[in-house]
Amino acid sequence: MDASFWLLQCLNAMQYSMLLFLLSIGLTVIFGLMHFVNLAHASLYMLGAYFGISVSAMTGQFWLAFMLSPIIVTCIGAVLYFTLIDRMRGAGPMNQVLVTFGLIFVILDLVRLGWGDIALGLEAPAELSHTVSFWGISYPAYRLFIIALGLVVMISMWVVLRRTQIGAMIRASVENADMAASLGINVGRLFFLVFCFGCALAGLAGVAAAPIFSATTTMGITILIPTLIVVVIGGLGSLEGAITGSLIIGFLETFGAVLLPSLSAVLTYMLLAAVLVFRPQGLIPARG
Amino acid sequence: MFYQTHLRSIALILALGFLAIYASFGSYFAREIVVEITILAILAISLDFCAGFGGMVSLCHGAIMGIAAYVFTIMGVKLGWPSLPSATLGLLAAVLFSGMVGWVTARTSGIFFIMATLAFGQMAYTFFFKSRWLGGDDGMGGISRFDLSWLGLDLNDALVFALLGVGVLFLVYVVASILLRSGFGRVLCGIHSNENRMQAMGVNTAKHKALAMACSGFMAGMAGIIAAQHTLYISPELLIWTVSGEVLLVVILGGIGTLVGPVIGAIILIMMKHELSNYTDYWHMIVGVVLILAVLAGGRGVYGQIEVWLEAFFKPQAPKEPKEPTESKEKEQDLA
Repeated sequence: MDASFWLLQCLNAMQYSMLLFLLSIGLTVIFGLMHFVNLAHASLYMLGAYFGISVSAMTGQFWLAFMLSPIIVTCIGAVLYFTLIDRMRGAGPMNQVLVTFGLIFVILDLVRLGWGDIALGLEAPAELSHTVSFWGISYPAYRLFIIALGLVVMISMWVVLRRTQIGAMIRASVENADMAASLGINVGRLFFLVFCFGCALAGLAGVAAAPIFSATTTMGITILIPTLIVVVIGGLGSLEGAITGSLIIGFLETFGAVLLPSLSAVLTYMLLAAVLVFRPQGLIPARG
Repeated sequence: MFYQTHLRSIALILALGFLAIYASFGSYFAREIVVEITILAILAISLDFCAGFGGMVSLCHGAIMGIAAYVFTIMGVKLGWPSLPSATLGLLAAVLFSGMVGWVTARTSGIFFIMATLAFGQMAYTFFFKSRWLGGDDGMGGISRFDLSWLGLDLNDALVFALLGVGVLFLVYVVASILLRSGFGRVLCGIHSNENRMQAMGVNTAKHKALAMACSGFMAGMAGIIAAQHTLYISPELLIWTVSGEVLLVVILGGIGTLVGPVIGAIILIMMKHELSNYTDYWHMIVGVVLILAVLAGGRGVYGQIEVWLEAFFKPQAPKEPKEPTESKEKEQDLA
């Protein structure tokens, strides 16, 4: 266990954290803003991966798939919004959990119908398929790209939320949606925009993850639980919470798997339980 | 508030009678289905007890069931205990686990309660999944069924086992019904409708919630013992959170807060699964669509909706209805 080992594991943890961040930021803002628990968010991530593979297979261009797949997923998200999500907003957490649990089943079988049960792979683009050597280690360039992508999204989200008018409107609506509406903010439209943006990020995470993990029908269910844990640990509805949560879980799971293989998975759940019991609002809640 | 109405008694007798007849006159396969239904129905009653009446929507009931099954198997197979003490210990473990979950999560509500129970359930799942000594993801076999030869019963006979399962289902229903009609059950329903008010009345709500989860855990543990004896094999699959989600689905499909609805929901779901899997490999999608429709239709569930209709049908003589036409006539006269 020399320095290069730690560096390598840190990079792995960062890459996993960034993937978790891309998923959890959409989920957390949707929850904070609309009080909606969308278990099907991870299914959109899976759809992102599969659509990315299809587009790339049809056109042979990775970057086109990288752009198109989030757009397709956003369109699906918009359809879901108007058919189900908007209707279930005031229905209480149990009904929301149930409806989106049903959606997981439906999307899962639709994917099986469309793409089959076999795991599908996606080639990383040629310009990122080499490995980069630095500080005595060599690391795949594509994984570095994912870390960079996550950081770019993170910083731009921060800038948008903290420094622009629409960010102020979103923060105001998270704080108090009724008050924001009475100040002339079209809260309904804002909800829709944020929901679509969350779906786009889920699709983006899906297509970005496809070259690393191959696309399988279980990928949605597998990532759903860590994403929910990130959201709850960080605090529902807060950007800083999602960042902190995804870093904690990413590093905990990566280093846990290497250093304490027998305990690692239980560690995550113990952390979640501890947060829920001692600090139910999350580490960095959106509402002060 | 829970009432064991005549309608509910009739529905329960019909459902249990159907299961007994289906097992008695059906094939070996039908008897297997009946056992599957009873396991799911017991689990669903146990979830309805805490979700429908206590407002605690738990996503760890699969894990509670699995813990009972695992402790039963560890005692019986690994340590060679006789089956009855190991089953008792399995139930005790389920009660302790769910009581602990209830106590720790007593201050949380809504989505936080759901997430917390999900976390505890997954914790148990990963513990068994990772444990090499307990077979990890391969699970454990070598379980033997209860020896009831002193009663003249051979549980290895599929029919006897299925009928015993129906009997246990009836017992669990009776226990849940008695508990809900007791003072404890009334307090639980009170906590569900207004927790602050119950606290103001001097009720220790956290204690009651933990107790309710423990009772629910006892029932879920019964399902676990039957499940282990049914397949004679257990694996961590029993504890995974989607199992708990499916139980919640059954409760909603049958009718939450009716206690007999979950039994009917379990019959519908298992029957539907087996019928659909004959025709298509994609029955999960249909189950998902049914679930979404059940929630969109008002969330009362099949039995809950029928109950509302029948009660409206049998009580047409509400004092308001005969009055209204006369009032309108008077108004018409006034207008004239």
